[in-house]
Amino acid sequence: MENQYKIRSPFFYAVMRLISNRAALVSGVLLFLIVLMAIFAPLITTTSYEEQKFLMNSLAFPSQAHWFGIDDLGRDLFSRIIYGARVSLTIGFAAAVCSVFIGLPLGALSGFYGGKVDWIIMRIIEVFSVVPPLIAALLLAALVDGGFFSIIFIAGIFGWVQVCLLVRAQVMAFKEKEFIRSSLALGASPMYVIFVHLIPNSISPIIVGFVQAIPLAMMLEAGLSFLGVGIQPPLPSWGQMINLGINFMFFYWHMALFPTLALAITVLVTTLFGDGLRDALDPTLKGKS
Amino acid sequence: MIRYIINRLLSIVFTFFFISILVFILMHAIPGGPFDPVDMPLSDSAKAKILKQYGLDQPLYVQYFKYMWGVLQFDFGIPYQSPGETVLELIGRAWVPSLILGGSGVLIGAPIGIALGLIAAIKRNSIIDYITSAISTLGLTVPVFVISMLLILLFSVWLEWLPASGWGEPKKWILPITAYAAIPMATYARYTRSAILDTLNKPFVTVLRAKGLSERKILFRHVIKNSAIPLVTVFLPMFIGTATGSIFVEAMFRVPGLGAYFVSSIENKDYPLEMSLLLMITVMFCFAYFIADLIYALLNPRIRLGDKKKQ
Repeated sequence: MENQYKIRSPFFYAVMRLISNRAALVSGVLLFLIVLMAIFAPLITTTSYEEQKFLMNSLAFPSQAHWFGIDDLGRDLFSRIIYGARVSLTIGFAAAVCSVFIGLPLGALSGFYGGKVDWIIMRIIEVFSVVPPLIAALLLAALVDGGFFSIIFIAGIFGWVQVCLLVRAQVMAFKEKEFIRSSLALGASPMYVIFVHLIPNSISPIIVGFVQAIPLAMMLEAGLSFLGVGIQPPLPSWGQMINLGINFMFFYWHMALFPTLALAITVLVTTLFGDGLRDALDPTLKGKS
Repeated sequence: MIRYIINRLLSIVFTFFFISILVFILMHAIPGGPFDPVDMPLSDSAKAKILKQYGLDQPLYVQYFKYMWGVLQFDFGIPYQSPGETVLELIGRAWVPSLILGGSGVLIGAPIGIALGLIAAIKRNSIIDYITSAISTLGLTVPVFVISMLLILLFSVWLEWLPASGWGEPKKWILPITAYAAIPMATYARYTRSAILDTLNKPFVTVLRAKGLSERKILFRHVIKNSAIPLVTVFLPMFIGTATGSIFVEAMFRVPGLGAYFVSSIENKDYPLEMSLLLMITVMFCFAYFIADLIYALLNPRIRLGDKKKQ
């Protein structure tokens, strides 16, 4: 008799677990909408983020024509928030890519070779754990003079540690398995084993590390821009807009509220989605952060 | 145990010097100097004289060793921003508001977080559990200046209950302390909940139940005691984390504390102050983790006794 039960791939079960997690599902959908909003920003709003089109009614409160009001320089706040999503998300994703590029090889090497290599990499991570990222990022931002690419670079430098530790743990767990040992016994070089066997088997910690690096990078960017050393105007950044909003908040609350909410919601849904993804890909880690 | 302590201390010393060199190089690599004529033009000879006075005309490695030699004798130099006092005096003065606000934030936030986590764990999947997890997720993910901004908008702009900024009368302390308390509260709520749930699932709890002990006694005599270890160990690092948090909280609430100096020392190339602040934070974090590990070992009989057996 044929097997009645269809054999499903682990990927199928991961997707099922993700869908059954309500918080993760809702935040995933929201995140998707925010990403769409950022990509199609020019279609959603016709005014650009730097056009001072509405100087005559500067600081106007939210209305039907201008959903989030107008800022002090006569720019439509809604457009600036939408374009701010572009900046924030691009930096988040790009920095996460950087983190994986640094963290993946180091984690694989340290997990595979152990011993001295591991010791050195662990000491480097220790240094990173005692220096608060924000203060070090302040120093680096002063050195490279803020700007879009420097922020991505800085966030990448501080985001790789988590990826490295996740990959290292996975590689250490796998390197004693039979298929790795037989591969080595058959004469495969360590590099071959790492790239062909160990890294593909670490795909779920890599995805988890990648997604979890995104909100951290976005927060770092917002923090630096808030302090005035991150994204420089006229490019809009939510952190920068919040800082500007402080000066106006008592009379023109819309200047402070909307960027704050945009940042809070985006960081929140990205984190929740990342946590859901982690639980779905690796149920044994559930609830541990 | 003694060997472990010595090893850890050596590693702290190593980290300290490594970071000091790194910071020193980075700091001086930033273009511009502390006495570049931005506001008032200085003649070349006057500038040379000032540079000489602060020893900035010497080669970098000489400056580094001179500075570190001073640091080893607790002489952290004189801040360029306010030459009337030493760096230590400035930090001591500026730290008071940060410590009051951050300290009370942690001391208030941690117990509330523990209580919330405890209730959430006992009444699992109840409304309280959901509210707690919502609060802790918010507190852990959203940057502290966003929380501060929402607090200000709600309580000072719309409800007009509390002043939004300043320092002095205790009424002005309420909002910044609340902002500081958010992170400890969120952290503790989450840790407590998961630690208690973890312990409740252990076999010894089943045995206690089988013995006929009341749920209350199980919880207060056995479960809490067994879940306390991770909670004790995160306290110190979190407390020191308020120093970095002060950068944002104090900027939002216009508190004259330590926070602003982190930024201004970098902006103004105030080398002695910059070095001291970074070294101070590093050392405090190193020791916080070290002490946390020691407390962990002391509290956990498995580690404590296991170690004795080996000797």
